[in-house]
Amino acid sequence: MFYREAGQFKTSYAADQAIYPIRQDKIGILILFGFSLLAIPFIAPIYWLNSILIPFLIFSLAALGLNILTGYCGQLSLGTGGFMACGAFFSYKLATAMPDTNILIVFLLAGLGTALVGVLFGLPSLRIKGFYLAVATLAAQFFLIWMFNKFSWWTNHSPSGVISAPPRAVFGDIDVTSASASPEAKYVFLLLLVSFLALIAKNMVRSRIGRSWMAIRDMDIAAEIIGIRPMLAKLSAFAVSSFFIGVSGALWAFTYSGSVEALAFEINRSFEVLFMIIIGGLGAIMGSFLGAAFIVLLPIALDTIPLLLGLPLSVETVAHLRLIIFGALIIFFLIVEPHGLARLWQIGKEKLRLWPFPY
Amino acid sequence: MNDISSQIPAEAAGTRQPERRFGEPLLTVENISLSFGGLQALTDISFDILEQEIRAIIGPNGAGKTSMLNVINGFYHPQKGTITYKGNIRRTMRPHMAAAQGIARTFQNVALFKGMSTLDNIMTGRLLKMHNLRAPETGVFGLDQVLRWGAGALDFVTQCLYWGPNEKEETRQRAYCEEIVDFLEIQAIRKTPVGRLPYGLQKRVELARALAMEPELLLLDEPMAGMNVEEKEDMSRFILDVNEEFGTTVALIEHDMGVVMDISDRVVVLDYGRKLADGRPDEVRSDRGVIDAYLGVAH
Repeated sequence: MFYREAGQFKTSYAADQAIYPIRQDKIGILILFGFSLLAIPFIAPIYWLNSILIPFLIFSLAALGLNILTGYCGQLSLGTGGFMACGAFFSYKLATAMPDTNILIVFLLAGLGTALVGVLFGLPSLRIKGFYLAVATLAAQFFLIWMFNKFSWWTNHSPSGVISAPPRAVFGDIDVTSASASPEAKYVFLLLLVSFLALIAKNMVRSRIGRSWMAIRDMDIAAEIIGIRPMLAKLSAFAVSSFFIGVSGALWAFTYSGSVEALAFEINRSFEVLFMIIIGGLGAIMGSFLGAAFIVLLPIALDTIPLLLGLPLSVETVAHLRLIIFGALIIFFLIVEPHGLARLWQIGKEKLRLWPFPY
Repeated sequence: MNDISSQIPAEAAGTRQPERRFGEPLLTVENISLSFGGLQALTDISFDILEQEIRAIIGPNGAGKTSMLNVINGFYHPQKGTITYKGNIRRTMRPHMAAAQGIARTFQNVALFKGMSTLDNIMTGRLLKMHNLRAPETGVFGLDQVLRWGAGALDFVTQCLYWGPNEKEETRQRAYCEEIVDFLEIQAIRKTPVGRLPYGLQKRVELARALAMEPELLLLDEPMAGMNVEEKEDMSRFILDVNEEFGTTVALIEHDMGVVMDISDRVVVLDYGRKLADGRPDEVRSDRGVIDAYLGVAH
């Protein structure tokens, strides 16, 4: 009824190639963005900002990065945690070595450094595929975490091996990093940064470079016949993906936790981000956000629902139940829709177009 | 960009002439031998493909036809023999280099990008023709390379922002792809993910993707396999149209003898990796060796 593109005619290819070719979508996303930016910082409780929205945005960025590599270019990677650690420690070293540099430039440089590391560990992808590549990227995961633990230079010789992010300002004198910054400022900063990076990711995947990634993913032999150089396509995917993941690691250290050690980026973190893109939808920008929301929100929802219902359950029972239900839901979603929440969203929109008619 | 409609020669509308004029040899293979370990796939094969002709490669299963195509587009590297393309002897090369030289290819079992729409598949075929920015040629040693790198980096930035040159280029290439879409009559499935298309249409999209490369030599590996009569007729018509309207040289492998004899100008017959016969369709048809290879010899 209200969601129908009848009467919206496109008269140019540019209009047809827009990110949101349907007007309702465009309005919807603008409203969502406006609400997130202008309303949420004022109405959301501090707990929501600190424990839900900020980690959600950071995880979305990490998932976005992994989705570029795994979802768009088809290269399975288990090194996400290691690359996040790279971003965190690189930005820490840079921020403490150059205290006067704008923090955005620090993040950019840390991201670029991580991209370089990503390319290095992406080199095996030129020879091996699938599960074998996943095992090769495990090497990155373990090596990087070991390196950051082993050499105290990375933590500026902190005896506990923990790095504490220094406070840095971005807009004038509003601090956006470290534990002392206000959650609202951190949230707005993250929202703007993550939205901008998501826009860049979307632009890439609808341009030449994105098509070359998808071609490699879908049929690497045919891609090569067309003139795509597999080396360039795969390594650029590793670079861009690692850049995003590196920035998300830097944001994790600087805005979410404030102080962090290498163990925060262990193999579990890699799996967590991988689950996000599998549940959210491989090869969908939107899927990275949906998957991150799912993984961040579900444990919290599972914790609070028994309380709301007034069920007399002990804390341990709740903790165990949470794991069981969490696992069961993941399996359920994968069976119902193997292409993830993004695909469900798509199907929902297609149904809505026809509603109230069945077809 | 070339406008397709302006390239149609006036006489193309008429019937096919029995004696057409071909140009120089576009591609010549000489004494090609290819083996995988102890298995001899091709033995001492020589033939040529003239400009603007439709050249068929036929033979029973396992005769080495697909291996021959794989040699031509750089997948396999023959142990012996030379390939001359456009007058130059070709060095060992990778498939993407063959693509850059104007050789396009379709596959026996459709090799489309299943996760992408029809239009994206065709646009991917334009990849080599897309340039957001071009580095100026200065001729100064070293400087050219630096400029190329700079242009590449800027090109990447325009893609990130989908801005300026990138948007213009996307639109311009889209216009070209739309002409191919019109030509092959696949307007209705533009935005459909190719995984959902029926087999016959997938074959057509694969041809569209190959045409998007504006190839000089088009290699078709069993373009009509698994099609019904109507689809075969359509595909034959498209191949002839491509050949006549764009002047594209076509080399095709096909098992349907009716189609091969009707549309090809010259036929080369392979069996067990050796060349059995080479000539016009009627000559090949009456060749004793060819008949024996297909029907078997009475002992």
